[in-house]
Amino acid sequence: MSLMRQYKFEIGCLVALVLAFTMTQMGLNRFVFFAGFAVLQYAMIATAWNILGGYAGYINFGTAGFLGIGSYTAIALINYSDASIVEQIIAGGVVAGLLGLGIGYFTLRLKGVYFAIATLALAIVVETIVNNWDFVGGAAGVSILPARNPELLGVLVVHKKLGVFSNYKEFLFFLMAALTIMSVWIARTIEKGKLGRGLNAIKDNEEAAECMGVPTLKLKLITTTISGGLMGMAGAVFPSYLTFVDPPTAFNLEFAVNSLAMPMIGGTFTWLGPILGAVLLGTVQQVAIVTISSELNLLILGLLLVIFVIAAPHGFLGWFMKKNKR
Amino acid sequence: MKSILTNRVRVKLLGGVMAAALLLSAPISTNVQAADKKPIKIGFSMALTGALAGGGKQALEGMELWRADANAKGGLLGRKVEFVYYDDQTNAKNVPGIYSKLLDVDKVDLVVSGYGTNLIGPAMPIVIDRDILFMGLFGMDNNKKWKYDKYFQILPAGPKPAEGFSHNWFEALKELGGIKTIALLAADAEFARNLKEGALANAKKAGLEIVYNKNYPPKTPDFTPIVRAVNAKKPDAFYIASYPNGSAGLVRALAEVGTKAKAVGGGMVGLQFAGLMKGLGPNLNGILNYDFYVPEPTMELYPGAKDLIARYQAKVKAENLKTDELGYYLVPWAYAYLDVLGQTVNAVGSVDDHEALAAYMHKTEFTSVVGKVKFGEFGEWTESRTIVVQYQNIKNNDIDQFSRAGTRKIMFPTDIKTGDVKPYNDLR
Repeated sequence: MSLMRQYKFEIGCLVALVLAFTMTQMGLNRFVFFAGFAVLQYAMIATAWNILGGYAGYINFGTAGFLGIGSYTAIALINYSDASIVEQIIAGGVVAGLLGLGIGYFTLRLKGVYFAIATLALAIVVETIVNNWDFVGGAAGVSILPARNPELLGVLVVHKKLGVFSNYKEFLFFLMAALTIMSVWIARTIEKGKLGRGLNAIKDNEEAAECMGVPTLKLKLITTTISGGLMGMAGAVFPSYLTFVDPPTAFNLEFAVNSLAMPMIGGTFTWLGPILGAVLLGTVQQVAIVTISSELNLLILGLLLVIFVIAAPHGFLGWFMKKNKR
Repeated sequence: MKSILTNRVRVKLLGGVMAAALLLSAPISTNVQAADKKPIKIGFSMALTGALAGGGKQALEGMELWRADANAKGGLLGRKVEFVYYDDQTNAKNVPGIYSKLLDVDKVDLVVSGYGTNLIGPAMPIVIDRDILFMGLFGMDNNKKWKYDKYFQILPAGPKPAEGFSHNWFEALKELGGIKTIALLAADAEFARNLKEGALANAKKAGLEIVYNKNYPPKTPDFTPIVRAVNAKKPDAFYIASYPNGSAGLVRALAEVGTKAKAVGGGMVGLQFAGLMKGLGPNLNGILNYDFYVPEPTMELYPGAKDLIARYQAKVKAENLKTDELGYYLVPWAYAYLDVLGQTVNAVGSVDDHEALAAYMHKTEFTSVVGKVKFGEFGEWTESRTIVVQYQNIKNNDIDQFSRAGTRKIMFPTDIKTGDVKPYNDLR
């Protein structure tokens, strides 16, 4: 019983994973998986952003850059060797993680708005490189047709009758659910551990933390690597989901705005905040696209962000807890 | 954390959020008709906002005119036609989700594409996966990679669209004489690059020397450095493949900097839109560009187009629609791609048998408002019917002058020619 209590979060993760798998086996409408994928991807990106932005207080505007580098690593691998989706995810994560490490090394001496501008510049630089890299389609974009019946370790993953999943979208939904759960587990582990405490100290007062012996640069470098890596992994699945990727799509500023807005709206101080923000905002946006049917969904996002920053600066979670205390 | 965020709070929060999410993600109820027969639903995404909205909005009105005509004749197979459509915001990212919603939630009977190559591309794998018929509107070589046997599209650029699109432009150049060198410029995007590749092949065939061959980023704000760089190479002809924003920017830059090239233009999208023609006015004089339909007296090979455009223009005025005032560029084609689909459904007698629908389309020569339509193996037209026009006699920014003959004279094909090609600077 005590073991269960000790690992109840991990058990919760497993239950969520089983739930996601069960959903794919229920023969649900395929649109559920399309919309669900988008919401889960945002949950993963927001969680990754929050590791650096929420715990350490370093605002990253370069989400689209990390996501895009993950997407284009996957595309390069597909074009080069027809790599499987698992290989694409691993490679996307490694490349974006290394980029995070490099960027961290060069920019983490910057603080506040200067750091934010530097990360925004990163996205523009990476997009410009991709625009001129014809091997991955350049500015014209590239179409991907995923294998109709892919196999993993000899197991037929997608097949109408014989596969684990009956179609590719269900498989991608499950894969994204697994990646999101993994990201949340990593975020929570960081939050509860030594690294999280160190990052909180950096957020409160970096000089004081340094004086107290917190290895600030080392912690920040670890964080940018993990955060970038997770964003890259989320991006690596994108080409298989969209099947057509061009730089304006992969490096869309919408990703940067959403990855920042979701934790802000949910609450940045805990792993649950980005999830809440992503589920709320992501769902509203998915519904807005097919109902209001215009660019108004970005207006909704902006309005919500303004309302929350003014009325609930600690996000929905902060507001809820404050209300519950009374 | 444990002290401030109790399990009770967490459960309440997650429960609340899940309930809200479920409520929001429930299918939105669509119009339920009380008619005896279920209507035929045609679904599509359309660029109603964003960079291609100028084309998307007029295409939608053209489609609505076809729907009104079809329903006035009793619909398809005796069933009324309904549209289910969503704004893709000219953003490729939105397209897969929209087509999934159309097919899985709205349960449409048929899907057709939105406007433009970049927005047809992301829908292709979805329709291929479902093995269903797909009509495209103004797609350039979208089926080149897939070779899907149930894809058909309306763009009169011939079986090799990339080359067919500019073939006539190079034919028109011959009239000028003395063209030995050419500069090629394209927006760095799929459609424009395809167009430039075709132009490059045609230029080589014509024995022209390529003195400049570059792409520009689609978001380029100032084109004067590019025009100056081209001028430095002293080309006799300057072929441009651009999107609406770039086309407007390039025309303005050419007016400001000037050029000694005898022929300028080719594949400039957007110069056919009423808003851009009105805004650019006399700056357009001399541009030699592609087009599909212009109000010249020889355009009788499209018998129904004239009346259709008159109806469109009357509708735009009467209903004060915020869309293209003239509708020459897309309205006949948007009407035709549904007309061809409608003729097929009526002939086959089914909306479900996609094999039979595709087979009928492959073997049939259709007659519509854009004249005869015959599809090749992979859904492109069997013949190119792109026309080349030269902007002439534009005096001011009055929109009405563009609905009269004489401002966009046809230079090629020769059988419908209404004017002679003149050097760019002679018309400035």
